[in-house]
Amino acid sequence: MFNMHPMRRRSFIGKAAIGLATLTGVVAAISYLRQFFPRLAGEKKRIVLDDPRRFPVDTYTFLEEHNLYVYRDHEGIKAVSAICTHLGCVLEKTIDGFECPCHGSCFNNDGEVLSGPAPRDLAWYSVSRGADGRIVINPGKSVQSDEKFLTF
Amino acid sequence: MESNDLPSGIIKRNFFLHIHANRVHVHSMKPTYTFGLGIILGFLFLIMIFTGVILMIYYTPSVDMAYQSVKDIVNVVPGGRIIRNMHRWASQGMVIVVFLHLLRVFYTGSYLGKRSLNWVIGVVLLIITLLSNFSGYLLPWDQLAYWAVTIGSNIAASARELTDLLGITNAFDPGGFLKKLLIGGESVGQAALSRFFTLHVIFLPLSMLILLGIHFWRIRKDGGLSRPLKYANDKGSTNKWYAWPVLMWTELGLFVLVVLVVLFVALLADAPLLEQANPSFAENPAKSPWYFLGIQELVSYSAFAGGLLIPVLYLVFLFSIPYRDREDGYVGEWFSGKRGLKVVWRSAVFAFLLVVMQLFVIIRFGWLRDWIPGISQWFVMLINPATITGGIFILLAEVIRRKSKSTRLGALALFTSTFVALLIFTALGIWFRGPNWEFFWSLKQWPVI
Repeated sequence: MFNMHPMRRRSFIGKAAIGLATLTGVVAAISYLRQFFPRLAGEKKRIVLDDPRRFPVDTYTFLEEHNLYVYRDHEGIKAVSAICTHLGCVLEKTIDGFECPCHGSCFNNDGEVLSGPAPRDLAWYSVSRGADGRIVINPGKSVQSDEKFLTF
Repeated sequence: MESNDLPSGIIKRNFFLHIHANRVHVHSMKPTYTFGLGIILGFLFLIMIFTGVILMIYYTPSVDMAYQSVKDIVNVVPGGRIIRNMHRWASQGMVIVVFLHLLRVFYTGSYLGKRSLNWVIGVVLLIITLLSNFSGYLLPWDQLAYWAVTIGSNIAASARELTDLLGITNAFDPGGFLKKLLIGGESVGQAALSRFFTLHVIFLPLSMLILLGIHFWRIRKDGGLSRPLKYANDKGSTNKWYAWPVLMWTELGLFVLVVLVVLFVALLADAPLLEQANPSFAENPAKSPWYFLGIQELVSYSAFAGGLLIPVLYLVFLFSIPYRDREDGYVGEWFSGKRGLKVVWRSAVFAFLLVVMQLFVIIRFGWLRDWIPGISQWFVMLINPATITGGIFILLAEVIRRKSKSTRLGALALFTSTFVALLIFTALGIWFRGPNWEFFWSLKQWPVI
């Protein structure tokens, strides 16, 4: 009955040791390498606009700490990312659009690429009324450029 | 192997003779053969380590304190300004000399024969030199640092340009993976600073030290510096000089000279330090360190093609040279003789004309997107001066290789043309690009912003 398994005790222990060492190595390597990739929680926090009326009408206002432009007209309000889709520089507002200081990509007022190396149009963010009645911008949710939050 | 026929006691007691053989070939001592570039790099590396350790004592790698601590180094620490200047200028010196060293080794065919492994190690050392420089660039946490690294990290993410076009970014995002590995988040912040600091003071210098050891050791294993075939059979003491003390004094003199030059430049010119980093206001123009401005010029056509595709192809080319070209007869001869020299200068002129012509078009008339608004990103990415130049060079080198039936001539053509193109793109980025990356003939024409 003992001869049913051709593997001897010594070779079994040897193989088990190699297997265990490999397993340890793999697990250790994975856990080690995992350290280089932190979870990115809360990177895209909602932005609360206390009083939308403080933004001038028919104007793109730059929100410095959030790197986005808020546009307000008589009907409502919308928000567009001020980060160039090319290499992440902060866009400057020109008369009829946006321009990137780093590599000269140009976007129109709707955030569409006009010239330069930018691969995508600018992202427009969802604006809505939060549960507490305040108006919030949600950078985690993109919308069409003509979608406005009607406030007035 | 070069001969080791000194009494063994001298070798055992002498560290210097552990690096060099007892006798070195007279050809290796010719200043116009090596220009001492490799050993100068070694000396510059020593200066980097020496000054870097002092800087590390006073520097604080934290977003809140980094900038102030660098200001303290410049203004408060006794002699700190000189140490920082030396560190900065020696690092720039390393970049220049490492490329000159690459040119020297390539054009003298010193990668041929059994030296192929050492060439590969050399290219890795070149990459580490550039990475060390780039990681050090972020540490002062000023405007220049912040925006250069923001751009750099997004170049790492530029594979997204391709995956976006294929519509698979959500499932497969190597660009985002690389960016996260580099800066530990979506944008440059404390995580990025910590990572760059660790890379800069531990990982990269240590890797460089180890590889430098192997690099030097391989020279001895490969029989000393490369030399022409006519000397190949010099054995024993034929045509050899004693390394000790002739070579030692030469190298010591060179060391003093290198330190002197770095010290002199450090006394004359201050390393730049701009305002503290401001994440909501980009410098205009936001330029990388000068040696990356060639890539930044390419990136201004397409992030993926210019920042990833072409540079990776270039590195693949550099690594592959000794494995595609095995014409060992050309070893140790500048430009492989008259035929090679002709290929070199013809490729240089051709590359110059080809690149300048395209730059004329793109600067004067714009490119695809200016001509056909709304053109697909595929065309923007795949048809631009970066990809056209690269494609034509590869084609040209292949034609030369087939016609001449010489891999060495093909390698000479591709190496020369790509290097000339790199020089032109870099010069354009340094001197002729201004605010919004527009073309200006001189700095004086820049608009006041």
